[in-house]
Amino acid sequence: MSILTKIFTLLRGGATEAGQAVVDANALRILDQEIRDAGNELTRSKQELTKVMAQRQLLAGKSADRMAKRAEYEGYIAGALRKGDEALAREVAERLAAVENDLSTDAQTLATYDDSINALKSAIKQTEHKLTRVKQQIDTVKATEAVQRAQGAVASRSAGANGKVGTALDSLERIQARQAERGARMQAAAQLEAESGDSDLNARLANAGLLPQSASVDNILERFRNQDKPVQQLSHEPQRALPAATPADAERQSRS
Amino acid sequence: MSRWTTQELCTSLSAAFGADNVEEIPTADEAIQVVLPDLGDLGITIAVTDRQLFVSTPLVEAAQVRDRAGFNEACMRLNPINPLSNLGLTTINGRDTYIVFGELSPDATADQLELEIHTLADNALDAIEALKPYLTSSEATA
Repeated sequence: MSILTKIFTLLRGGATEAGQAVVDANALRILDQEIRDAGNELTRSKQELTKVMAQRQLLAGKSADRMAKRAEYEGYIAGALRKGDEALAREVAERLAAVENDLSTDAQTLATYDDSINALKSAIKQTEHKLTRVKQQIDTVKATEAVQRAQGAVASRSAGANGKVGTALDSLERIQARQAERGARMQAAAQLEAESGDSDLNARLANAGLLPQSASVDNILERFRNQDKPVQQLSHEPQRALPAATPADAERQSRS
Repeated sequence: MSRWTTQELCTSLSAAFGADNVEEIPTADEAIQVVLPDLGDLGITIAVTDRQLFVSTPLVEAAQVRDRAGFNEACMRLNPINPLSNLGLTTINGRDTYIVFGELSPDATADQLELEIHTLADNALDAIEALKPYLTSSEATA
C-alpha cells in the first residue's frame, strides 16, 4: 500500500470518527514510521552492497591469480610439447583444465555479483528517492496542519467563538456589499451635486440680477437712474410687482 | 532548508501589505495571517516549512454548499485552469471547509510570495463567484 493510500484511508476514517487532530497525528506517525523503515532499509542495502563489493573484489583477485596460473601452465605445456614430452604436457594440461574450469566458474560468479551490485545500487537510489518523497509528504502534512490550526485560531478568535472561519464567500459578499454601498453613495453624491449645482447657478444668476426675484445692487441703482419717481420705488411694494422697468430688464426677465 | 524564518517572512510581508494587515498567529506551529482589506478582508494564511512555503485561504464551508456533487465536479474542472492555486477540502475547527492553496519553493523571493498571495486571493474570489450556483443562498445561511 502506498504511503498516500494509507494516509487517505486514515483521513477518511478519522474524519468521521474523531475529527482532524487524530488524523494528523496518525498520518504523521505513519510517515515517521515510513521514514524509519526507509532509513533502515537504506542502511541494510548499503551494508549489503559493501559486502557484495568486497566479495567481488576478493574473487576478482583470485581470478587474476588463476589467469596468471593459466598463462604459466600454457607456457609449460608448449615447452613440454616442444621437447616432445607428451606425458608431461598431458599432466600439466590436466591441471590447466582444472584452472580453466575454475575461471569459468569465477566468471559466472563475478557476473552474479555484478548483477547484485547493480540491483543494490538501484534499490538504494529508489529508497533514497522514497525517503525524499516521504519527507516531502511529512512536510506538506505539517504545513497543512499548521495552516489549518492558524485558520482555526483566527476563526475562534474573530467570529464570536462559533468557530466559523472567514471564507472567500464572506469576502465576496463583503466586496459586493461595499460596491453596492459605494454605488449608492456615488448616486447620492451625484444627486447632491446636481442639486447644489442648481443652487449654485441660481445664486450666480441672482447675483447677476437675472432671476425675477433678484435684487442686485446694480439693478437697484439702474432702477433709480432710469425711473421718474425713484422715491416711490422705495415703498414696500414687492419688487416682483414692478413691470419691467427698462427694456433691458424686460429682456433679462424673459430670459431667466 | 527554507531561506525564510517565520519572523523574516513576517517582516517582509508587513512591508508589502502593511504592518496592520500582517500577523503571526500564536499556535503550536508557526503561521502568518495576511488580511487583504481591498478584497473584502480576505485572510491568507502562510506556513513555512523546510521544503516549502504553504499559502492557503478558506473558500467556503461545505455546509454552505447546496449541491456537493455538482460543486465537487465544478472544482475538479476549475482546478486545472486555476493559475498557481489548487482547490481542496479540509477540516477547520471540525468543519469541512473548501480551501484554495498553493505551494512555493522555500527559496521563493519576497516578490514571488507577494504575487502568490495576490493571485491566491483573486483566484479564491473568482472561484467562489463562479461556484455560487452550487451554494445555498447567503440569506439562508446568514
